Amino acid sequence: MLVGLSRTGNRGAFAELVTRRQAWIRNLMRRCSGDATLADDLSQQVFMQAWRSIRQLHDSERFAPWLKRLAINTWLQHKRRNDPLRAADEHCDNDASHQDHTGVAMDLDHALATLPDDVRLCIVLSYHERMTHAEIEAVTGMPLGTIKSHIRRGTKRLQEELAAYADTAKETT
Amino acid sequence: MITDHDPKLVALFAKAEAELDDTDFTADVMRMIDDQRRKTLLVWLVFVIAGIIGFALVAAPVITAVSMATELLPTSLVNFESDWISMLLAPVNSVAAAIALGALAIRSFYRRVFR
Repeated sequence: MLVGLSRTGNRGAFAELVTRRQAWIRNLMRRCSGDATLADDLSQQVFMQAWRSIRQLHDSERFAPWLKRLAINTWLQHKRRNDPLRAADEHCDNDASHQDHTGVAMDLDHALATLPDDVRLCIVLSYHERMTHAEIEAVTGMPLGTIKSHIRRGTKRLQEELAAYADTAKETT
Repeated sequence: MITDHDPKLVALFAKAEAELDDTDFTADVMRMIDDQRRKTLLVWLVFVIAGIIGFALVAAPVITAVSMATELLPTSLVNFESDWISMLLAPVNSVAAAIALGALAIRSFYRRVFR
């Protein structure tokens, strides 16, 4: 109903949609970028893009996957732009932007940051968004074999980086 | 397809999922939307005003040219006894044919490049 109202240009309905979906999109962007400030900027862009093109969404039930696709496209575009000045700013701001992160989130983002961009994206979409390989292929345009290998490599790397968590899990059990 | 997930990593990703407070996020998004709407309206306003000014400046010569064209184009350059042949050879047909061919060429180009 909110999606339907938003499609007619109802600002209140769209604001309610933003309120309900903001945590999900911001978390997704945080896992992708590893930077809370950048993640919030990109999330705002996602919702602005959603407002501009929500009339093109014919099936209201498909709002969540549509929004997720917008978010992933926004992230891919950001990566393509690859502004070195912005990247430098992001690097400088990283410590401050992590202040509201929990320890686990910080460690996870730190481990994710060690992965190459494409590998990180595949891992985030697979583990965070629980997307299938075929869905990742449809959204990113990467070949299926590459996605599988990225996820395998990324998983191995994360297991090494986050081995301490596995050890503490063993100790507590 | 997602059965090869490491359950410990799945748990970590779930644990890292923060309950982020809205704190001004929605308000910021709506403010940016309003700003963008204002900018779009401003651009349209500038275009409309420029269009009106431009039309006012060129209206008289354009109307003269259009009226001349509507008078001259349907008039055959060569006089024939048959009205049908005269109509077929009127300059308007040449102009229409050129426009039609141009439209077909653009359509064909668009289909090849973008589809």
